[in-house]
Amino acid sequence: MSPRALTLPARVLWHAFFWTYERATWQYDLMVLAILAFVWLTPPGWLGDPVASGQPGLVELVLRLFH
Amino acid sequence: MTFTGAIGALCMFPLRLIISACVALGIHPNVLTFVGVLINVVAAWYLATGRFVTAGFIMIVANIFDFIDGKVATELGAVSKFGGFWDSVIDRFSDLALFIGLIYLYAERGRTDYVMITAIASTFALMTSYTRARAESLIPKCKVGFMERPERIVLFMIGAFTNRMAAVLWVILVLSIFTVADRIIHTWMELRRMEREAGA
Repeated sequence: MSPRALTLPARVLWHAFFWTYERATWQYDLMVLAILAFVWLTPPGWLGDPVASGQPGLVELVLRLFH
Repeated sequence: MTFTGAIGALCMFPLRLIISACVALGIHPNVLTFVGVLINVVAAWYLATGRFVTAGFIMIVANIFDFIDGKVATELGAVSKFGGFWDSVIDRFSDLALFIGLIYLYAERGRTDYVMITAIASTFALMTSYTRARAESLIPKCKVGFMERPERIVLFMIGAFTNRMAAVLWVILVLSIFTVADRIIHTWMELRRMEREAGA
């Protein structure tokens, strides 16, 4: 199946998982940002993190600053 | 210039100095590779004992050695087939050392779920290298898939410094599975194309 036959969101997912881009391209930057967002924004408790569970996630920390 | 390109360029400044120092001292690149794995074993010990920040700093030092060995070999004119082989074998030990450190940590805390996640992630991390090496004995190039060693190492450091190792392991696991799948599919497609061209 050619990725051109897919809708835009499906094409984005296709290219994200069937990765052919080089490092230091804008696609690579985007993937890095998505990974960092997952790592830092997911509350550790959601993943049952054996070391960091109970600690607040980044979103929670930012919210605390404003309350 | 891209964001990751700028970070790479920024990191190259201190690395250039270290490379020049190693070249001036005439340190053999294979020695640098071996020192890198030894330092990674120390980092693994710190991971195993839950001292993530210290482990992160030690990983930086270890991976400087890993990174510069090839560049030092080029500048010393000491590039050899054995050097390339030695480097890739030792890199696998470095990878496994870090995973084993985490397996020890999670086992000690009675977390069999994360012992399994780490073990499966390490299996697929090894398979990303194996599939590429085996594929490139059949086809000219198999550089597809996102999760290669530099990405893994940087993720380990991010996990260690920010205490988000569980999230990092999930990312390594999922993207390594896709990288292995990419490489199998790419090799299959390339071989089919080569067979078609040979038959035409």
